Amino acid sequence: MKISEEMVKEIILEVMGQMQPPASASAPASTAAPVPLNLRETGDAVVGKDKNEVVIGLPPAFGNTMTQTIIHIPHQDVLREVMAGIEEEGLKARLVKVNRTADVGFIGHEAAKLSGSGIGIGIISRGTSVIHQRDLAPLQNLELFSQAPLVELETFRAMGRNAAKYAKGENPSPVPVRNDPMARPKYQGLAALLHNKETQLVDRHKSTKELALA
Amino acid sequence: MAQSQQDTAAQDAIAAMVKQVLAAMNQGGTQPSASAPAQSSGHLDAKKDYPLAAKRPDLVQSASGLQLNDITLEKVVSGQIKFEDIKIRPETLEYQAQIAESAGRPHLAANMRRAAELTRVPDARVLEIYNSLRPYRCTKQEMLDIAAELENQYQAKICAALVREAADVYEKAGRLKAA
Amino acid sequence: MAKRQKRFEVLADRAVNQDGFIKEWMEVGLIALDSPQDPTPSICIEQGKVVEMDGKKRDQFDMIDAWIADHTIVTEVAEEVMAMDSLTIARMLVDINVPRKEIVRLSVGMTPAKYVDVLKRLNVVELMMAMQKLRSRSTPSNQAHVTNVKDSAPLLAADAAEATLRGFAEIETTVGVGRYAPMNALSLLVGGQTGRPGVLAQCAVEEALELTMGMRGLTHYAETVSVYGTEQVFVDGDDTPWSKAFLASAYASRGLKMRYTSGTGSEVQMGYAEGKSMLYLEIRCIMVTKGAGVQGLQNGSISCIGVPGAVPAGIRAVLAENVATVLNDLEVASGNDQTFTHSPIRNTARMLMQFLPGTDFIFSGYSASPNYDNMFAGSTHDVDDYDDMLVLQRDLQTDMSLNPVSEEDVIAVRNRAVLALKAVFEELRLPPITDAEVEAATYAHGSKDMPDRNVPEDLRAVDEMMQRGTTGLDVVQALAKRGFQDVAESVLNMLKGKVSGDYLHTSAIFDKDFNVISAVNDPNTYTGPGTGYRLEGERWDLLKNIPAAISPEDV
Repeated sequence: MKISEEMVKEIILEVMGQMQPPASASAPASTAAPVPLNLRETGDAVVGKDKNEVVIGLPPAFGNTMTQTIIHIPHQDVLREVMAGIEEEGLKARLVKVNRTADVGFIGHEAAKLSGSGIGIGIISRGTSVIHQRDLAPLQNLELFSQAPLVELETFRAMGRNAAKYAKGENPSPVPVRNDPMARPKYQGLAALLHNKETQLVDRHKSTKELALA
Repeated sequence: MAQSQQDTAAQDAIAAMVKQVLAAMNQGGTQPSASAPAQSSGHLDAKKDYPLAAKRPDLVQSASGLQLNDITLEKVVSGQIKFEDIKIRPETLEYQAQIAESAGRPHLAANMRRAAELTRVPDARVLEIYNSLRPYRCTKQEMLDIAAELENQYQAKICAALVREAADVYEKAGRLKAA
Repeated sequence: MAKRQKRFEVLADRAVNQDGFIKEWMEVGLIALDSPQDPTPSICIEQGKVVEMDGKKRDQFDMIDAWIADHTIVTEVAEEVMAMDSLTIARMLVDINVPRKEIVRLSVGMTPAKYVDVLKRLNVVELMMAMQKLRSRSTPSNQAHVTNVKDSAPLLAADAAEATLRGFAEIETTVGVGRYAPMNALSLLVGGQTGRPGVLAQCAVEEALELTMGMRGLTHYAETVSVYGTEQVFVDGDDTPWSKAFLASAYASRGLKMRYTSGTGSEVQMGYAEGKSMLYLEIRCIMVTKGAGVQGLQNGSISCIGVPGAVPAGIRAVLAENVATVLNDLEVASGNDQTFTHSPIRNTARMLMQFLPGTDFIFSGYSASPNYDNMFAGSTHDVDDYDDMLVLQRDLQTDMSLNPVSEEDVIAVRNRAVLALKAVFEELRLPPITDAEVEAATYAHGSKDMPDRNVPEDLRAVDEMMQRGTTGLDVVQALAKRGFQDVAESVLNMLKGKVSGDYLHTSAIFDKDFNVISAVNDPNTYTGPGTGYRLEGERWDLLKNIPAAISPEDV
């Protein structure tokens, strides 16, 4: 059996993922304190022609009025990890801002429809995320990370990697599903507060915009 | 008033029976009426006739015309039972609608009557129409076309009315696909 | 504080202080009931049409107002009941001398704001009394969640069999990985009928896929058909009342039982509550359901329980929404299906609200897997609480619809379910279930005790199975061919249930002999002491004899 460096890395990541105590206790390693991101709109988003891209869809509050996930991962780290995951697989990431909804499923689906590969990722500010495919129904998904308090830095990296693999036509093992029944009592009230902040910037009549990360 | 003007040349015996039931039915609007039970034509009774499988097996047949007793394990194993043989037929849904009315549930009865109509629509088309009714999927004309299809191709008048109503509401609410 | 008071230190460590609490935020609707922005009840009818409702003129109606006005409210009684004093109606709900029938005749004419105006006058004991009197089916029952974090099919089958042996009348699964859905449905179909014939099974996933599985005869009913109380949230849920009503008819057209799902807190959770109270918006959901002609509703906040659970009077509002459902003459699957607290005290108190009066399904998802395996993100109670529940039934002489069982019987039924599923997998050319999996699933506590399956291989096989068009009949054939005649017969009988349509009626379940029990032939006739469903006779003999009880002869 051939053991590649990447396999070893993957196994280490997976084992570390399992060793992590419930999300609430873990302080994710972050490069810096959360700050507003310098995300610049560069016009209306268009359907890409490049089969080697994965589009990441974000709601308008992301990196803007909100700067970190529900477990305090700064948004700059979220984007860095997802994009690194995609690039690790040799593909390119493209960012769009989905203005008309704050629903993670619809954001992911919009990203997938814009993506040259047909694969998109949706991430909302509190960390709930989805890997989506163009020809699925909006509320279906390839992989859903529904419990924001369990979506950690390494989950974002793995999400980017898997999205890229789907884009290449591979059939990857889904990122291991995690479940914490106690996330709801601890976080749901807070999640409601955060989501109301999220939707305040939504404009259902405004189109999706291309984003440049300065 | 339910006497259909549609071309029935291609309809088989089942469709003919369906028509009889439809003709007998009180067409009415979609608004449920508290006084509906008294107007119902069939008069199956919740106390006397329910459950149908036990009390009125004579009325229960599958879409292909099999009685419940005809659907046996032996026949399934020997491959004599097809999926069509274990589907509900529109008459049964009409009987259940009458029972619902007799039990004081006109809303439930109305749904069972829409369902009776949809038994004639193939699975895949039912799913497509459902998806088309989701927000931002169709232009108004596309919705009206679906309504016409339901009415003309499947004799689904009540469902057609529901789709037309949706087309109007979506238009007012700005939930249609941009033309 | 430099120096902590020792009692406060202990209190800070208590489970309840792990819970999140938030203060009311009225502008966005973070309030349980009675928001200052809730409308005042009103109705105006012209020529049989509602032209004004709760202070809004017809041309101001949003989609949900329009649906309720045109499909739900029975105009013949609307003016009569809207003219009645809300306090009088509230008192009728708890008055044993006013029969359920009379209340249900009137309630269909009430507007959403009127429901709130009535229900806000009842305290929790009165709400429980109303539930006892108004629930649709006389005999209470229960639903279980059967899931695991690995989507392990053998474990699902074993857990389904144990759950049904223990008395759950309905079982529900969902997925960790979306594409597993048909395999999970298949596992419950086989496992459920092995444990107790006649149990209904479902697989909660995206609406269109869920319907497809039902059409194929892989499931018996559906429940995750979500409705919401504001137009924007409804649309974010990718539906409208019209698409959902069409879906309801689609289910019935294939002879499939269905209920909707809603719950307080979902609108504010999804960011668009328009400043209205959670209860007011939930009542709009209930009335959308009623107008669609759906027989029942799962509510009691459900997946949003952390939201009402975090605000004042939230758990009272949750009971009120259950009562509003039965007041609409609908089946209620009354929640208690999602973790909402770290505190066992809070947890039990919340559950008593539905357990004591009894509902159609007291739990709409008791976790028949350990909570770490519960893919609905955890239930209030799980497998580790079974014995506590049996004792609560015995203490209070109140039926939670759970049976005492012996370890031998559970081992036997779990083993048989996995063997039956193994046979079906072989016949349907799905990746084999190994002997090691059979053994592990038989004796497992949860998925930690299960070997891993090859996920990509499973998923490929599931896709192929769906493309081949496998139906419930193929499952019957497979079971019969491999010597599971009785299970085959049960799976077939469930398919025949779809032909007669008897279980499309309100609150329908089947007993082990496939007799339907619903609000039609088992209506709730409670009118005070000495009437209605009582835990006595044979059933009480069964429930009081828990295995742990010592008999005089034994000492």
